[in-house]
Amino acid sequence: MSKFTSELVDDLAAKLLIGLSHEENEMVLDEFAIIDENLSKVEDFENIKNIEPMTHCLDDFTFTLREDVASESIPIDEALKNCGKTEGREVEVPKVVGGEN
Amino acid sequence: MSKYKAVIGLEMHCELKSNSKVFSSGRNSYNETPNDNIAAVDMAFPGTLPVVNKKCVRDALMMSMVLNCKQPEYMYFDRKNYYYPDLPKGYQITQMDAPVGIDGHIEIECNGKRIPIDIHDIHLEEDAASLDHYYDTSCIDYNRAGVPLLELVTEPCLHSAEEAVAFLEHMRSAYKYCDVSEADTKKGQIRCDVNVSIMEPDATEFGTRVEIKNINSFGNVYDAINYEIKRQSELKMQGRYDEVEQETRRFDEESGTTIRMRSKVDAIDYKYFVDPNLPKFKIDKKWLEEIKKEIPLLALERKDKYMQELDLSDYDAGVIVKEREYAEYFEECLDLGIDAKTASNWLTTQILGEINREEVNLKDFYLTPVLLKQIIDEIKNGTISSKQAKEIFYKAVEEKKEPKSFISSDMAQISNKEELEKVIISILEENQSQVEAYKNGKDNLFDYFVGQVMKNTRGKANPVVTKEILKEKLDK
Amino acid sequence: MDKTIEELHEMLKNGSVSSQELVNEAIKKSHEIQEKYNAFVTILDDAKETKVTDNLLSGIPFGIKDNYSTKDILSTGSSNTLKDYVPFYTATAVQNLLDAGAIPVNKTVLDEFGMGGTGTTGHTGIVKNPWDSTRMTAGSSAGSACAVAAGVYPYALGSDTGDSIRKPAAFCGIVGYKPTYGMISRYGLFPFASSLDHCGVLTRSVADAAIVTDTMKGIDEHDMTSWDSSDIHLYESLNREVKGKKLCYIKELCDIESYENPTDELKLHLENFKKSLEICSSLGIEIEAVSVDKKLLDALPSVYVAISCAEATSNMSNLTGIIFGPRGEGKNVMEMMMDHRTKGFSPLIKRRFVIGSYILQKENQERYFKNAQRVRRLLVDTWKKLFETYDAVILPVGSGPAKHLDGSKDILTKDTAALEEHLQIGNFGGFPSITIPSGFINKLPVALNITGNCYDDANILNIAYAMESKMPYKNQIAKEVNHE
Repeated sequence: MSKFTSELVDDLAAKLLIGLSHEENEMVLDEFAIIDENLSKVEDFENIKNIEPMTHCLDDFTFTLREDVASESIPIDEALKNCGKTEGREVEVPKVVGGEN
Repeated sequence: MSKYKAVIGLEMHCELKSNSKVFSSGRNSYNETPNDNIAAVDMAFPGTLPVVNKKCVRDALMMSMVLNCKQPEYMYFDRKNYYYPDLPKGYQITQMDAPVGIDGHIEIECNGKRIPIDIHDIHLEEDAASLDHYYDTSCIDYNRAGVPLLELVTEPCLHSAEEAVAFLEHMRSAYKYCDVSEADTKKGQIRCDVNVSIMEPDATEFGTRVEIKNINSFGNVYDAINYEIKRQSELKMQGRYDEVEQETRRFDEESGTTIRMRSKVDAIDYKYFVDPNLPKFKIDKKWLEEIKKEIPLLALERKDKYMQELDLSDYDAGVIVKEREYAEYFEECLDLGIDAKTASNWLTTQILGEINREEVNLKDFYLTPVLLKQIIDEIKNGTISSKQAKEIFYKAVEEKKEPKSFISSDMAQISNKEELEKVIISILEENQSQVEAYKNGKDNLFDYFVGQVMKNTRGKANPVVTKEILKEKLDK
Repeated sequence: MDKTIEELHEMLKNGSVSSQELVNEAIKKSHEIQEKYNAFVTILDDAKETKVTDNLLSGIPFGIKDNYSTKDILSTGSSNTLKDYVPFYTATAVQNLLDAGAIPVNKTVLDEFGMGGTGTTGHTGIVKNPWDSTRMTAGSSAGSACAVAAGVYPYALGSDTGDSIRKPAAFCGIVGYKPTYGMISRYGLFPFASSLDHCGVLTRSVADAAIVTDTMKGIDEHDMTSWDSSDIHLYESLNREVKGKKLCYIKELCDIESYENPTDELKLHLENFKKSLEICSSLGIEIEAVSVDKKLLDALPSVYVAISCAEATSNMSNLTGIIFGPRGEGKNVMEMMMDHRTKGFSPLIKRRFVIGSYILQKENQERYFKNAQRVRRLLVDTWKKLFETYDAVILPVGSGPAKHLDGSKDILTKDTAALEEHLQIGNFGGFPSITIPSGFINKLPVALNITGNCYDDANILNIAYAMESKMPYKNQIAKEVNHE
């Protein structure tokens, strides 16, 4: 487990593409200390590891998968009307270099 | 060749064929017009939610079974979180925890040998948007965002670039046989990641693993693997193996080399977690059985069948099963009652020659098995010679007219035994000295007599009947 | 506009008021309330009357929390990241109301994207409590609670991830109801934590909550977690026949002896709760005290923070200013996204993102995220076990009336009591849960909550309906108290 430090907080924030002030950074540390303390108690719960993590709100959803039918595309003016910069029918950004996936 | 043993693992991403995208009802089709195949979810407008496409799940399950994988009891999806301008939601919906298939195995053929391949897993996920790059800007087209992808991950069980490409070809063929993907590398429908390490042939521990990401053709997979084996081997031989780092590289087509992207230390933590918007889906056993029944015979199985049951040569059978449409054409011929060898000969020579020359798909080829049969029947009836048959074939294809229309009575072969006998008797009489020589052991004169008959009948004599009569007369 | 939906419908039907008159009054009142309490992001001055039909909601104005997507109407989530965002589609729940002839007249302020419980973190400023403008409304459905309490209209939409409908309803003296998870489609609701997010409504009476929910709900092909509730008719099911029903309360939360140094407010609050239980008894409802493992209750707030922050950090990764929202500045696209997010989010949200991100890290998931999800299941199972014996769990909301604005800091502190946070269990299990006013402490409203088993919404509402009829708080309008 990596230790929750001020440097780590800044690193995490940077990876989330957000900047934090010094005060914000400290507040995160304080808040997290409480969560850490509370959740470390959970580790002592009997048989906690045998419990299936609850990932969804209900366990008994009834639903069907969607049939493979395509719908009309969103009209382009609606798709782009909130976009800060467009070029033709596309969203424009400064040149992207390098790759992710 | 390197003196070290190479260990290779593959990740193969293949776009699935469907009407709509995997988590939205946006169209899944190639579209030249940017942002013309988009649903609100594809651009991650606030409040939009993913909804799973049944066909994509079905197709993924089918491929999972083709790979002899285990299917999960419940299917669900995970979010892979990272930021990039081609990923509108800031996460990709994929499968980490419970993929549609795990622990599979198949057999492939490489250089005439069958080798086993172990499959780590196969999972269903969505594609990202595409970026068009200009001088100092990039433009984002979301048509591809949400297109269904199947990602297949092998165990590190391959040992050469040949094997890797043979595996990829095998899978490309399987996707096409199952009709779940066009599997066209030219359209970017298949992309691969490759990991390569080397080790002493007798070593038990793997060497340092290098990953090469996003290779878009099988040729490049081949070159990238060979380059990487060479690079790593040279460093090892020079005692500089510690310079081989666990890292991610990319293949540079121009130089034919791999180039470092980032090291393991900079690896991204994708913070996978189960997507709460997509409920766990219980996979019905009955549905699985239905899907299983719909799996067609795949290339290698068909090849075995053609060789064993129809007595085709390894080569011919191999050519026919190479593409699903070849095999389908072939089997349609068989269904029409055409003899397997005849069908195979026509398909592997004339027909494939023609479609390759004309660069058409066999599905769109004018001369369907039914029309081909017209020609073959006439040969069988002795109405036309095989030479004439070929001429008719090309005429029919060129003019797109039924072969029948080119078969005239004038063309008819002389198969009438009496008529031929007359011709043959007169020829033998005119060539007394050659008949003598033949009877004294000059066997090769037989062909001379056949030639004379043909000459006399302007090629219309039925060669089989001619030979029969000649033998009868000469061996008397 | 201080009437119930049934009354307004009757008036529209008999012609004593017109739909346009109601709309005009609601708009006028919106401006007054905006001036005093800052409840709205947008007031729709050009809202038009609709035809009055047999649908009880036709012709009647209502408010929409600003985290619902509304076509051609600014929808901000009370965040600078979406301060100019005008969607091209309407949320399913809203569309269902529009189809019934309901008339939206404003979009209400929330804690940014619903991530907060104070009503103080919206990008347009603090929302004040209409009973006492020096106090909070609580949140996150702050503007909706304020406007309904102040009598702008009979109902407004809310959303509830931890207690975001039910707590502000309590502090504003009104009814707040979130039905079973998935009864109302989430399509078009800006997500906070998808596995906990519920749509719901704030009203001044239980019947109104039933009427509105009957119209909002329904299976939606755009939301896989929605389900078919066409055989559930909440309004029709209200009959006050509650004799023989069984309720339980949690001893550890409700007994004053459980608290070491209880404040006067807490004492009064728990006394008020005991009085409510007496009302239940008078209705023939059996009440029993039950005990729940204190360890579980103590873990509750952190479990909630862990799960909600983790999901939120992922849910809000689409807010980059590339496709919508103001473009950030920067040399390259990653810098632009970072600038957008740094400037766009309030400090509270940023801190929660960092916590969520840490919890989701590969090496931490087991210890924090998965354990939180495990305790979530333990809590839900505990409550489900109670529902085998009892129709519902009844508990007081919070530890007293609304908090002062100047003393409020929306930070998780060590003494955050389970009493303040127990409503989150309703979100953990997707349980139907309704808050109704139960009286006053120092002239400020307090409330109780009834939470029942999934799909048992009609039963829960009926119990609340019966209790409401025995108390004088139905359809009360906020009156500012004089304070020094």
